[in-house]
Amino acid sequence: MLREITLGQYYPAESVLHSLDPRVKLFSTLVFIITLFSADNVILFAIVLVTLFGIIKLSHVPFSFMVKGLRSIIVLLVIAGLFNLLLTPGRTLVSFWIFSISDVGLKNAVLMTSRMVLLIVGTSIMTLTTTPNQLTDGLEKSLGFLKKLNVPVHEIAMMMSIALRFIPILIEETDKIMKAQMARGADFETGGLIKKAKNMVPLLVPLFVSAFRRANDLSYAMEARCYNGGEGRTKMRPLKYGSLDQRAYICIVSYIIIFYAVKVVL
Amino acid sequence: MSIIKSKELVHEYIRRDEEGNVESIQVALDHVNLNVEPGQFISILGHNGSGKSTFAKHINALLTPSEGTLWVDGMNTSDDEYTFAVRQTAGMVFQNPDNQIIASVVDEDVAFGPENIGVPTNEIVERVERALKMVGMQKYKNHSPNKLSGGQKQRVAIAGVMAMEPKCIILDEPTAMLDPDGRADVLRAVHELNREKGITVILITHYMEEVVDSDYVFVMEKGKVFAEGTPREIFKDVELLKEHSLDVPQVTLLAHELRKAGLPLPECILTRKELVDSLSKLNLKRIEGNQAGASPADANKAAASNDNQVNNNVLILDHASYKYSPGTAYEVTALDDVSLSIKEGEFIGIIGHTGSGKSTLVQHLNGLIKATEGSIYYRGQDIYDKDYDIKDLRTQVGMVFQYPEHQLFETTVFKDVQFGPKNQGLDEKEQIKRAYEALGLVKLPEEFFLASPFELSGGQKRRAAIAGVIAMKPAVLILDEPTAGLDPKGRDDILGLISDMHQKRGDTVILVSHSMEDVANYVDRIIVMDAGKPAFDGTPKEVFAHYKELEKMGLAAPQVTYVMHDLRDAGFDVDASATTVEEAKEEILCCVK
Repeated sequence: MLREITLGQYYPAESVLHSLDPRVKLFSTLVFIITLFSADNVILFAIVLVTLFGIIKLSHVPFSFMVKGLRSIIVLLVIAGLFNLLLTPGRTLVSFWIFSISDVGLKNAVLMTSRMVLLIVGTSIMTLTTTPNQLTDGLEKSLGFLKKLNVPVHEIAMMMSIALRFIPILIEETDKIMKAQMARGADFETGGLIKKAKNMVPLLVPLFVSAFRRANDLSYAMEARCYNGGEGRTKMRPLKYGSLDQRAYICIVSYIIIFYAVKVVL
Repeated sequence: MSIIKSKELVHEYIRRDEEGNVESIQVALDHVNLNVEPGQFISILGHNGSGKSTFAKHINALLTPSEGTLWVDGMNTSDDEYTFAVRQTAGMVFQNPDNQIIASVVDEDVAFGPENIGVPTNEIVERVERALKMVGMQKYKNHSPNKLSGGQKQRVAIAGVMAMEPKCIILDEPTAMLDPDGRADVLRAVHELNREKGITVILITHYMEEVVDSDYVFVMEKGKVFAEGTPREIFKDVELLKEHSLDVPQVTLLAHELRKAGLPLPECILTRKELVDSLSKLNLKRIEGNQAGASPADANKAAASNDNQVNNNVLILDHASYKYSPGTAYEVTALDDVSLSIKEGEFIGIIGHTGSGKSTLVQHLNGLIKATEGSIYYRGQDIYDKDYDIKDLRTQVGMVFQYPEHQLFETTVFKDVQFGPKNQGLDEKEQIKRAYEALGLVKLPEEFFLASPFELSGGQKRRAAIAGVIAMKPAVLILDEPTAGLDPKGRDDILGLISDMHQKRGDTVILVSHSMEDVANYVDRIIVMDAGKPAFDGTPKEVFAHYKELEKMGLAAPQVTYVMHDLRDAGFDVDASATTVEEAKEEILCCVK
């Protein structure tokens, strides 16, 4: 059951997007989010939507695969939509029982849910086309300026990539410990909240112990391979902008110009 | 000049209380003197806690001596200036394959070392390529380590060290967590590095068969080197090794026993060929006329006779199948239409390589996994019936998982063992009684009852964990690789214990293992799993008669079985079905004219 959880899932394929520098993708995702939230009319929204569809086409990731990511947040979407729909004051369009739907509410609900859907789909394109390692590399490099402010950027990036490496291992471990305790008659399903929480102890203690043991082993293994922080480290695949990345930046900048030009004109 | 030289090396683990006062001192290395020449293949033997891993960490400058000196390629490891140079010269591979792979892609992990020491980008790419080729893993360059087998992960770890271009590589029990296939692959890779690249290898292990091919062996106990020499010199003194609770390879043990029985064999025999050759020189009975090559065993006999007594079957699997992620592209058939019956009081061994479905099979027996097709009966009742109490089944069919010590969680050993009986709803008095009995059965000394389970040694933890299952008084006890990662003494202790329980209490025991020697010595019936199906089912003799087919499945018969077959092939009149040293000895002695 736990195996089905996926985090930052990467979809291996050969596409323009897959071969782009992660920094380009990070930047474009940021631009996408900003424009998405500043799109407040139909035309602007259409621009965002069309661009997104173009990008999806370019990514060679099946559309169904992306929609799958939405399934887990459908409840959230429905609730957010309903709240906006029913609780926003304004000119009443329809009213029944104690609820009334206003024009502003309707607009907000539609805007809100479609924004959220686009947000998820848009950001998932980044994680689907970028390996976790590239992503951390990209973050490390893009946030490099923070090092001057004594932010341990390299260490944070290293922690992130180690976390990504060990998440599947710990999930499997959880599964195993759970089964072992169930074989000793443990019950993880029934009972009230407090009882359930108490029943988790036989699962959580071994899990933490194991995580610490692994951390200890790993630190030895890293030291044995001469790890000594980010100073003086080289990279097998250093991030280097290519011509493709330049063209991508040109596209992104033109997208920004078009978007805000339209926004100002209208 | 020697590549590794230690002089009066001492290491103490000092435990301090919260105020920083010394609470206890444990001497892990006690004046160790040893010398390794470049290009040698060295093995360090010793049981758990003998100090061999501590020594390994010194060679890599992960630990520094409390007293004495250690030089690696002329560099003093206590000197901070050399720390990284030492680590680069003497690379280290650890026991747990998962916990030493840092990156999420194979080639990025191999690149980790060279990246750390600041190798230029182009060269890293070349080094990674070369290192992966050395261990035969270049095909898996872009794979995620999570998708690899244990043996493959361990070879990636070796490549990760090789990419730093060390002169020496230290392997700290690299095969302890692997199946026979993985072990063979890792050892082959290490031997190749030694032979072809002239890398000095220091292999730390407690598998005696792995030591046979090394140039020189050090045997450690209680922090001291108590014996050293060539493998032949070391294994000459079988009695001494036994005293120090170490094994010898089965072939050597058989030769030793035969010598004791008065056969004029040379003093130390290490390989199958040597034994067969020396036995051939003796005057053994030859096979006469037409009976040559006929193998007396018939594996199907036992399977057929199973049907005669239907009544005392505890567990029956009826056409059970199990598929992982059915209906998706990742669908894997882990169990394929298996029908089996397990009788009351049987001692069964289930063997198969990793992924053969053996663990999946046993998890069906207590309802942890539900078969996608077919049914399972416990004492005649269908366990998939709607009103069947599956929780009750789990106390009837006890299951000890692999590395069971990883599930310990309570503050004291005693409370942990009580956990099962408590879940059964027994009253406090009964819980205590059960826990007390169970801890007695696993022979855990009473002084540990109130200790934290995390303070016990590896072997003791495992016993405590097994007690946790026994305390529920299951009618059937399933153990999944109960000896994994233990040293020879720990292994014999645990197996002896299980065998005792079977004999004295008449429990039905199912032992999942990939060690043929273990299984052959203890069980009455072996089920060989291959590709989700039982391939053979019968007594050890019957099953191991199919040693050629077993090899094709990535398994092997016990070493002695091979010796007997070799003798038979050489034309001697022996019954080739012996599976234990004892049986083989009897058989060969009978054959002496």
